[in-house]
Amino acid sequence: MDLAFTTEEEAFRAEVRDWVGSNLPPAIASKVHNAQRLTRDDMQRWAKILGSKGWLGYGWPKAFGGPGWNAIQKHLFEEECALAGAPRIVPFGPVMVAPVIMAFGNEAQQKRFLPGIASGEVWWSQGYSEPGSGSDLASLKTRAERDGDHYVVNGQKTWTTLGQYGDWIFCLVRTSTEGKPQTGISFLLIDMKSPGVTVRPIRLIDGECEVNEVWFDNVRVPADQLIGEENKGWSYAKFLLAHERTNIADVNRSKRELERLKRIAELEGLAQDWRFRDQVAELEVEIVALEMLVLRVLSAERAGKQSLDIAGLLKIRGSEIQQRLTELMMLAAGPSALPFVFEAMDAGWQGDATAGLEGFAGNAPHCAPLAASYFNMRKVSIYGGSNEVQRNIVAQTLLG
Amino acid sequence: MDFDFSDDQIALREAVQRWADKAYPFDARRARVAAGGLDAGVYRELAELGLCGLLADAEHDGMDMGPVEAMLAMEALGAVMLLEPLDQTLLASALLRSHGLAEAQAQWQGRIARGEVIPALALHERGQRYATVPAQTQAQGSGDQITLTGGKHVVRAAAQAQLLLVSALYQGTPALFAVTAGASGMRVGRYALQDGSAAGDVHFEATPATLVCADATQALAMAQDLGVALACARGVGAMEATLRITAEYLNTRKQFGVPIGQFQALRHRLADMKMALELARSMSYYATLKVQAPAAERRQAMARAKVQLGRSMRQVGQEAVQLHGGIAVTDEYVVGHYFKYLTQLELSHGDTLHHLGAVSDSMQASAGVFV
Repeated sequence: MDLAFTTEEEAFRAEVRDWVGSNLPPAIASKVHNAQRLTRDDMQRWAKILGSKGWLGYGWPKAFGGPGWNAIQKHLFEEECALAGAPRIVPFGPVMVAPVIMAFGNEAQQKRFLPGIASGEVWWSQGYSEPGSGSDLASLKTRAERDGDHYVVNGQKTWTTLGQYGDWIFCLVRTSTEGKPQTGISFLLIDMKSPGVTVRPIRLIDGECEVNEVWFDNVRVPADQLIGEENKGWSYAKFLLAHERTNIADVNRSKRELERLKRIAELEGLAQDWRFRDQVAELEVEIVALEMLVLRVLSAERAGKQSLDIAGLLKIRGSEIQQRLTELMMLAAGPSALPFVFEAMDAGWQGDATAGLEGFAGNAPHCAPLAASYFNMRKVSIYGGSNEVQRNIVAQTLLG
Repeated sequence: MDFDFSDDQIALREAVQRWADKAYPFDARRARVAAGGLDAGVYRELAELGLCGLLADAEHDGMDMGPVEAMLAMEALGAVMLLEPLDQTLLASALLRSHGLAEAQAQWQGRIARGEVIPALALHERGQRYATVPAQTQAQGSGDQITLTGGKHVVRAAAQAQLLLVSALYQGTPALFAVTAGASGMRVGRYALQDGSAAGDVHFEATPATLVCADATQALAMAQDLGVALACARGVGAMEATLRITAEYLNTRKQFGVPIGQFQALRHRLADMKMALELARSMSYYATLKVQAPAAERRQAMARAKVQLGRSMRQVGQEAVQLHGGIAVTDEYVVGHYFKYLTQLELSHGDTLHHLGAVSDSMQASAGVFV
């Protein structure tokens, strides 16, 4: 038992830190550190920088051009990126669909799709949820009917994160209504520029359009864009969920955000307010405990052991902590968090004379995004399998 | 960075578990509570397993093991709510080893390690809550003419111990002394604690004592911190047992014609108990691996760990009772006793608020396991 990283692991961390430090554009890092709005270009710029180093697919094995890192190295990479203020990697391509293509796609599909994912050129979206299929995802109704060497797709997906920027979308579609709902689902890759695809952004309570509805109206999809076998898509989707479990806790970002919370509390004169301090102290303990939980899972993964009974806890706890962080930051800002000024989320915003907020940005540049972050982060206990579904899974391992 | 145990560590854990399963069924524990809460025969068996000398050096018949081994033994013994004060024995042994004068070590270390002497720690005073330094007990004289006057509160195994390690102010400085059972001017009260174990208050009136450590500030801080780490491990063992028993009960007890474990309202609460247990286990590992860190880093780590443990133990104890229903508040059923044991652990070695204060005081501009 040893809490310290090895000399090799520390050297690896230093290498990543150096590289990120000299390649992450400071303007982007500044936006991340201040929870300001990231544009499509910001996100893709960072993706391409990582891609040029071969690190966008940082979880990929060497056989597919990835770095072949172990669980600890992946964690250290994620941590260094988070602490430096790198934007979150948009996961749908490199983290989600790529491993499925590697495991279940044929060689032609691998050659066709993986390079564009690895370089960051092609933006992928995820087509899972539907208006009537949220937690009960297997009830999905979007149909794909075989017509010669094509599938014809009809239906609607929703909550498609950043789908307005998407080039391609991987979808779960119904190819059979026989048997259990899970057995009639297929995994299909669809070019979002195909005729019949319509994307409609959904405005959220923080003012942003982070998610979309995606409509499919007689969209013709070449049959060679089916991954694996027809009606086996559910098992591929489960494989995808089993992949990449620890980063879902997002503990590295939460460590960074805890520092920010402490800075905001200081600026707002709450540093010596014991009622507030104690709440921050409790959260700090929760974050250390979560980090230890993550490290336990990583240690087990590296040793090739199953740790399913605790891995299921990571998403629940990680999301609760992310929410608590944004809640406390907003409370620290108090009334300064109240003005709902959309432009104030942008870097460089200097205040709005017509709203009488000229001095607002200058006095408290950190306050504008805080309420928006709080409202935005309600999503984390809902998406990716709601926390209630996660508790069902944990209870299943305890009770059968 | 790894959280695997060595083969030797796993063997130790299994040996202790085997002993606990055999020697400590709930009925036997109840009988020992009724008989005073400290069974000399049980204590001898723990010594025969080598556990009393787990942290003592080989020269004094100890096993010369470290915090990880101590954690594994404490987990296994917490799982059966051990009444005998083995954790206190380990603390006394570690205190003597790291801070005791050579004569004190020569006199006591081996006898403690062999189980011939049960040591008690008399460190806390009435009205001083969890303070680690003495405020009322005074030492006077010098050489072999030292005497103590004052009193100590909630001393575990006070009446059964042959040796009391007592903190007192000596020329204005916190110091540590040895007092032997039956010393003149010593009055030992006797009561049971909430978990059924033996304890008592102790009063000294010019009681003869020998010096163990002249400047004991660091020694007392170490004792508190190692005590936290051992309490964390005991709590993890007890919570694990509590969760297992609760899950079995949910799958057995029927209402409305089905096992109550089919009701989602209860399943989710059980999942939250599992969360509380695993966060606590994570922090118990953290505490154990920080026992040998520099004092300030160690103190911060122990405070963080005990806050998590305190919260987890309260949640697991309360929820186990609620999920069981009325049976859990009866004296004859085991879960109510786990609830009491966990509650007692929260109020030992500094409670949650006490340690939260320490976390709050030590908050720097950054956070996490590695700062």
